[in-house]
Amino acid sequence: MTTKQNLYHSKPAQWAVYGLFFACIALIPTFVTDGFLLNQFAVYGIYGMLALSISLCWGFGGILNLGQGIAFGLAAYGMAMTMQMQSQDPDSNPIPPFMLNNSLEHLPWFWQPFWSTGGGILLALVVPTLFYVVFGTLMFRARVSGPFFAIMSLAMLSAFATLILDMQPYTNGANGLSPPAPLSLFGTDIDPYGKAAYWIVCGGLVAVTVGAKLLTQSKFGLVVQALRGDPERVRFLGYNVALYETCIYAISGFIAAVAGCLWVMLIQYVSPAQLDTTFSIGMVIWAGIGGRLSLLGAILGAFLIQGGQSYLGDQFLATWLLMLGAFFIVVVRFLPKGLAGLLEKILGHAARQPAKHARPEPAGLPAAGE
Amino acid sequence: MGVLEIRDLHKSFGGTKVINGFSLEVTELTLCCLVGPNGAGKTTTMDLITGRQKPTSGTITLRGDDITALSEHEIAQRGIGRKFQVPAVFRELSVRQNFEVAYSREVNPFRNMLRRRPPGFSEKLDEVVSLTGLKDRLDVEAGFLSHGETQWLEIGMVLMQNPAILLLDEPVAGMTEAEIEKTIVFLNRLKRTNTLIVVEHDMGFVRQIADVVTVMHMGAFLAQGKLSEIEADPRVREVYLGEPEV
Repeated sequence: MTTKQNLYHSKPAQWAVYGLFFACIALIPTFVTDGFLLNQFAVYGIYGMLALSISLCWGFGGILNLGQGIAFGLAAYGMAMTMQMQSQDPDSNPIPPFMLNNSLEHLPWFWQPFWSTGGGILLALVVPTLFYVVFGTLMFRARVSGPFFAIMSLAMLSAFATLILDMQPYTNGANGLSPPAPLSLFGTDIDPYGKAAYWIVCGGLVAVTVGAKLLTQSKFGLVVQALRGDPERVRFLGYNVALYETCIYAISGFIAAVAGCLWVMLIQYVSPAQLDTTFSIGMVIWAGIGGRLSLLGAILGAFLIQGGQSYLGDQFLATWLLMLGAFFIVVVRFLPKGLAGLLEKILGHAARQPAKHARPEPAGLPAAGE
Repeated sequence: MGVLEIRDLHKSFGGTKVINGFSLEVTELTLCCLVGPNGAGKTTTMDLITGRQKPTSGTITLRGDDITALSEHEIAQRGIGRKFQVPAVFRELSVRQNFEVAYSREVNPFRNMLRRRPPGFSEKLDEVVSLTGLKDRLDVEAGFLSHGETQWLEIGMVLMQNPAILLLDEPVAGMTEAEIEKTIVFLNRLKRTNTLIVVEHDMGFVRQIADVVTVMHMGAFLAQGKLSEIEADPRVREVYLGEPEV
């Protein structure tokens, strides 16, 4: 008996679906001419990136990370600082207004590198990634895993949020940073409501998705999936498990950092709310509902939930949270692999179905030549 | 000189001495069976050799290199492979993927990001698949294998690793008679190319595979020799075989 391969697991089919998805998001600006709507769709793209980053570390690596807001938030602050300094003048007006209100007389040393746009963006990406490398090394070397790691990441997130709130003169505390002008790259302003901003986010989403997909298909990705199930076995095969875990955690952090930078480019604002625990847990819910073992599933999960929140949330107000909660419970209980897992099941049935029909075919009749 | 030498190994958990001055020398290309009553410290010895536990004192050397302080993955990279008592395979991955992970010639994560199948993989896979008889099962998810097949898969994974020394902890536990027969043939062939240490309870099985039998008792070395010599040893009869047989 030959069972056909489940289409869900076919690599060409997977890439075809990815291609279709990329084509869809690339076509959006042709239909959507309203700047505000385009900006909102771009923001969904950011949420998609965050869900993808969760899918990488939680779905593939088994590292439940409830503190992804660390990378997102730190990078967002880095980007906001860069954009803020673009509006300052080294000679006539070197200090951002909120610092003057907090009676600072000099620009703090850690704000200095943000005079340079390139350096600022680089720092916004490198600092969170390095933090993930250090924190990951500390945790994974000590073999902290599962719920214990989740709690540690959550605690670390809260610590960062508190720190930023407390450093009012340097971070503007709860008010956050709101750079007065859009990001200027190579002498051109990037209008957050224009097509250019959308294309940048779209390109970023395509790049991280393709990169993540290739990563999961590499030997590295396979080892990471193996250690999700049995880290001990992987260790006895000769792999440094802590190093692999740190790598996948830091890569996921880097993607969240990219998302943080692009988010500020679109919103022109950042506050400690971006390091709020509910936001980071929300990312895990997106990936969980969409399917944490599917990169595209996680992205679509983010689109679905955030889209639902924007449209249904306005209509139902607090009831929306109850609906979301109920939906999450149903998915966790009946679809542990999320909506992508549902698709996998359906296609699995479809693959078996033709084999069943093929069996009663009369054996004696030659099929050829008819 | 032995390929693996254990000298005066001690291990205590809290105040309980589990390994108590155990020494062992394993000769290259032999199959050494480690036997002993429950609680003799056989599995703990395996844990100490593979780095899962660290000894309180004593040294373990592999071809003259001290490996006592190394971590699990470093010891594995130096060529000690281990099959667990309860078969440990990656249940969510296919049999082929299990073998791919086990082929650990390249362990650097960054180099592994850039490629999928390192050179020499398919030759090794063919070899191991024909040895373990899993040819038709390569695309099956490992969680769906029978118990016997799972045992074979894990043995195959350890072989993919290409270890100089294989540690097998009760390899035939839960196998059917036919599977045990197959394992005996297999191990006897394997000891031509590898050094093996097998922990086993079943003396019938030990008789058919062992070159050397080492008896442990209360965490210490009790006796070593051919199975016939061991069975004749009155001390061994007392502690392990129970009452002297007629």
